[in-house]
Amino acid sequence: MQRVLIVGGGSGATMLANMLARRCVETLVLSKSASHMFQPALLYVAFKNASPRIVRDERRLLDRRVRFIREPVTRIDLTARTVATAAGSWYDYDALVVATGVTTDPDQIPGLRALNDRYGNYHTSVAWAQKVWAALDAFRGGTIVLGQASPVIKCPPSPVEGILLTDELLRRRGLRDRARLVFISPYPRAYPAEPMNAVVEPILRARGIEIFPFFDVDRIDAGTRTIYSIEGEELQYDLPIIIPPFVGADIAYDPADVLDANRFVVTDKETLRIKGFDNAFAIGDATNLPTSKAGVGAHLEAKVVAETLSGRPARFNGRTHCAVDLGYGEGTFVIGSYTAPVLKYPPSRLSHAMKMMMAHMYWLSLRGWLEPAFDWYFARTDPDKRREAEAPREQARPAA
Amino acid sequence: MPDAVTGRTIVDSCGSSCPGPITDLALAYRRAKVGDVIELWATDPGVKADVQAWAAKTRNEVESIEDQPGKIVTVIRILRR
Repeated sequence: MQRVLIVGGGSGATMLANMLARRCVETLVLSKSASHMFQPALLYVAFKNASPRIVRDERRLLDRRVRFIREPVTRIDLTARTVATAAGSWYDYDALVVATGVTTDPDQIPGLRALNDRYGNYHTSVAWAQKVWAALDAFRGGTIVLGQASPVIKCPPSPVEGILLTDELLRRRGLRDRARLVFISPYPRAYPAEPMNAVVEPILRARGIEIFPFFDVDRIDAGTRTIYSIEGEELQYDLPIIIPPFVGADIAYDPADVLDANRFVVTDKETLRIKGFDNAFAIGDATNLPTSKAGVGAHLEAKVVAETLSGRPARFNGRTHCAVDLGYGEGTFVIGSYTAPVLKYPPSRLSHAMKMMMAHMYWLSLRGWLEPAFDWYFARTDPDKRREAEAPREQARPAA
Repeated sequence: MPDAVTGRTIVDSCGSSCPGPITDLALAYRRAKVGDVIELWATDPGVKADVQAWAAKTRNEVESIEDQPGKIVTVIRILRR
C-alpha cells in the first residue's frame, strides 16, 4: 500500500489527510505547528474586535488513523523522494503532497515591517490583527490608508472587506466625518476582476471612500508618514493598514526550479502535480496556480488529489468561491473557474449570512462530514453552467 | 527573467481571471529594468484594456496586442522604472 506524506497543517492538508484516512491510505502529516487557525476570522478580530478564539489543536482535527508529527520541514528532495526536517529526521514517501501555504513577507518593501509592527495587519496572526483593532479603536480622526502592498495576495477580497468594515465602524462611532478613507490597489480598479468590481466600486464610492488604483507600494517613510508607489504617486497617512506581500514557505527543494520567484510551487493547474514529478502534488496557497489563494481552492484541490491517489485521476477546474463582507450585514461571492470568468453577483444579506455560517461550519468541514452538502452547493453555483445558461439570453437580447 | 535568446520576459497568465493577468504584469514590472521587453500571455479578454490603462499610468509603451490561437499576446516595452 502506498504511503502518502503531506507537508503542512492548514485546511488543504487537514482535509486531504482526513479524506485519505477514510480511504484507508497510510498518511503522515508533517507540520511546523500543531495550531490550526480559521484564517478568515482575522478580519473580524481586526475590524470588529471579535473573540480571538479561532485556533484549535491540529491533532484533534485529524482522523485518528492519520499520523501527525510536529516538525518544520527544511528540505524536500523530489528525486530521492525524501523530506528532511529541522529536527534532523528524514522521511520517505510513495506520494508527496505539499500544502505549506503562504507566509507574509513585509521585508520586501522598505519601511513596511516597522509599519506592520506598530499598526498590525490582518493576514498574519491573532496578535497582529489585534494591533489593527487597537489602532482603529484609538483613532479619532485623520487619513486611513488601507490596501495591499503588492499584487500577490491571499484572499483577494480581503482589502475591500477591510476598508468597508473600517467605514462601518467609524460611522457607528460617529467619527466618519472626521476621517478620510483611502483605498489603494495595485490593480486597474478597486477589485481586480471587472464583473466583481462593478459590484464593489459603486459601494466604495457611495460610502465616500477614495480609490487609488495602480498604487503598487514601493516604499514607506515613517518619518514623513508617506507611502510611495512604484507608479510614482505618494500618499500621506495617519493610520496605515497595509497588507504585506506573500511568499511560499521557506523550504529548499531539489530540483530548485520547482519554485517560482515568490517561492510558490510550480504546479500543473489541472492535475496538481509538481512540475516534472508524477508522485508529487501541491495544493492550496503553496501553488502557483492562476487562481485566488483561498480556502475553497485548497478544499477542492484536496478532493482532486484524494481521488487521484485513490486510482481515479481527477482534474481541478480552477473553481473559486470566495465570500465577501460588504459591511452592514451585506455580502457577495466571487465565483469563477479557469473557463468561466468571475461572475457579477449582487450583494445580499443571504450571502453575508452564509459567510458568517462558514465560521461555524469550518471545523466540521475539515473532518469531511459536510462533503455531500458542499458537493450539492458547488454544483448548484457552478459558474460554467451559469455561463452556458446565460449565453443564449445574452445573444438574444436586442441591441440597445 | 528575460529569455536568453529573445531578451524578452515571458509572463504566462493564461487561464488567470482573478486576480488576473495584470497581477503577473505588475509583478514582472517590479523586477524589470528600463529597456526590458515583457511579453504577456493571457486568455482573459479584459487584459487588452487593463494593459493599456496600466501602460498609460506607468508611462510605459504597449508595442503590440495580438489575438493568437488560444491566447492574447501583449508586448510591453519598459521605459520607466
